Amino acid sequence: MLPKYTLPLLAAGGFAFGVYTVVNGNQPVPVAQPVAEPANSPFPTFIAGSGIVEAKSQNISIGTPLGGIVLQVAVKVGDMVKAGDILFRIDDREALAELGVRKANLARSKAAVGEAEASAIDTKTLLELIEAVTDRRAISTEDLDRRRNAHLLAKARLESARAQVLQTEAELASTQTTLDRLVVRAPVAGKVLQVNIRPGEFAPAGVGTSALMVLGNLDQLHIRVDIDENDAWRFRKEGNAVAYLRGNRQFKTDLKLVWVEPYVIPKRSLTGDSTERVDTRVLQALYSFNRATLPAYVGQQMDVFIEAPDADSAQPPMHQPDQK
Amino acid sequence: MNHIALKMLMGDRGKYLGIIMGLTFASLIMTQQPAIFVGLMMRTFSFISDLGLPDIWVMDPKVQFVDDIKPLQDTKLYRVRGVAGVKWAMPLYKGLLKARLENGTFQTCNVIGLDDATLIGGPPVMLVGKLKDLRRSDGVIVDIDGATDKLAKPPMVPGGKPTPLKIGDTLELNDNRAIVVGIAKTTKTFQSQPVIYTTYSRAVRYAPRERKMLSFVLVKAMPGEDIPTLTRRIRKATGLAAYSRKEFIDLTWNYFMKNTGIPITFGTSVALGFIVGAAIAGQTFYNFTLENLRQFGVLKAMGASNWTLLRMILLQAILVGSIGYGLGVGLTALFGYATRNTILAFKFPWQLLAFGGAGVTLICIFAAIISIRKVIKLEPAIVFKG
Repeated sequence: MLPKYTLPLLAAGGFAFGVYTVVNGNQPVPVAQPVAEPANSPFPTFIAGSGIVEAKSQNISIGTPLGGIVLQVAVKVGDMVKAGDILFRIDDREALAELGVRKANLARSKAAVGEAEASAIDTKTLLELIEAVTDRRAISTEDLDRRRNAHLLAKARLESARAQVLQTEAELASTQTTLDRLVVRAPVAGKVLQVNIRPGEFAPAGVGTSALMVLGNLDQLHIRVDIDENDAWRFRKEGNAVAYLRGNRQFKTDLKLVWVEPYVIPKRSLTGDSTERVDTRVLQALYSFNRATLPAYVGQQMDVFIEAPDADSAQPPMHQPDQK
Repeated sequence: MNHIALKMLMGDRGKYLGIIMGLTFASLIMTQQPAIFVGLMMRTFSFISDLGLPDIWVMDPKVQFVDDIKPLQDTKLYRVRGVAGVKWAMPLYKGLLKARLENGTFQTCNVIGLDDATLIGGPPVMLVGKLKDLRRSDGVIVDIDGATDKLAKPPMVPGGKPTPLKIGDTLELNDNRAIVVGIAKTTKTFQSQPVIYTTYSRAVRYAPRERKMLSFVLVKAMPGEDIPTLTRRIRKATGLAAYSRKEFIDLTWNYFMKNTGIPITFGTSVALGFIVGAAIAGQTFYNFTLENLRQFGVLKAMGASNWTLLRMILLQAILVGSIGYGLGVGLTALFGYATRNTILAFKFPWQLLAFGGAGVTLICIFAAIISIRKVIKLEPAIVFKG
């Protein structure tokens, strides 16, 4: 038979188990913490945009003035070059041979000057001999005139020989210039970003499909910020701007406006597929920053906040947002 | 007197057990059925409640509930980020994608894309691996239920157990390769699909190409910012819908309440449990009082007041009520415990404990009232009749 207290005890136990289930089954779900703290704006009202780091100087594709076989490439990818440093040399044997000819020509024309000088001295001596005779009767007028003319002729030949020297010197300099043009030098200081030629290859003059060599100046980096066209009217040139490195908001930098692209372009979302989606149109603003404050690479994405008036209180800007 | 009341009650074991069984049954139905109902309904918004970090969810104004994805343009993220009072705003991709398993079958999975840099919106509990591992190339995190069941590798021998996914295994998502870098525990969702977490850019790559991809923008308010004011401001500035977490949960809840048969089904069960419990317990209690009417008559004849008799009946009612309630709640809890590792939705909040108690109390009051009426009207003389 059922003892008297069985049911009440069972009931008390059941209720306790119910309470336990309630307490145990309703623990709050733990909150997943972010891996990296997200960047927040330091401004009360602002426009947020995504920025991409790019080099200040656009990439310089190096060309050659004269086509030819490449003899020597003097730099590697990544080398820092100063303006005037040799980048590569084109085969110069033809020009060197011509230089030899020009030099020989110069020597010959210089010799011709000596010959003409000697001839001039000879005629001068003969003229002076006859002019030293005080008694005019002793010499014939004809003889005197011939000697005088011969001296004039010799002087003219000397001038001509000297002019010949100048000409051959100029020709020599021209060949020298050709030789110089076969050596391609860096137009500005910068970094060698790409080298597409090797010794033995033909370097064509003119615009090709790929640059022979690419130079860029990475001393100064810019951040290109995309601003949604719907927020573009709130953009102010004088507004302060701050950029945060993605993944670590400890790295941030103040930005200085360089210019605003006057043309609003369609924003592309690079999906890596053969086609790209066009999202919306964006206003692009370029900012410069102190490179020492931020370990950023060209092409890296940044979170950018630009101080701007509140959407409710903002008045349209007084002037057109055009190029600085 | 109380002693006599208890003696009376327990004297007839058959009736005593009958009343208690009726009440236990009523209490069981009135707690177990709503528990399944609550469990099922909480699954509809478990994705929202799992995501504890953001204060506000921003989405297309036409979104009706959490699985109703109407994607936005990517630049909307920056518009939301530019609203005053927003501490941060992060993109979230949520979509159903097909995963191809090793044996060639397809499994629809819930793919969640988190912001690439911060990985905000990740699973609440990581069982194996770290959330940070998502930064590895092609990395995905799979929930434990999906890994052990729907996404598991087919058994080596026919009829054997499937091999659960482990770290380093590969999946095929829409012809893209994905590598499992972690196993997470998430609250089950309504449709119980496997959940795959990955970064936003990768999720977008896995997803079939559309012009718009951004499902939600998760927003954290600045400290001290009033959430309703901020949601209004976001709505005004962007033209999108912005809900606080509570509002979004309510939106999803109301959608399921209005558009599915779940509330009617479970409501009917609860009502039937109440009616049947009330009928059995009430009738048995009334019969029991009728049978003991002579004893009550004797007591009355001996000079016991109506008030004393009333107290006796109330004591009896309270006792059977408590026992029945306790047993019913215990059985419900046992049911929940037995099914804790199954697919069944079961959630037992304290409100249900109170609801069951109120139901049983109502039944007891009903049973007591009809009995009390009889006893109070009782003429002591009846004892000496026939």
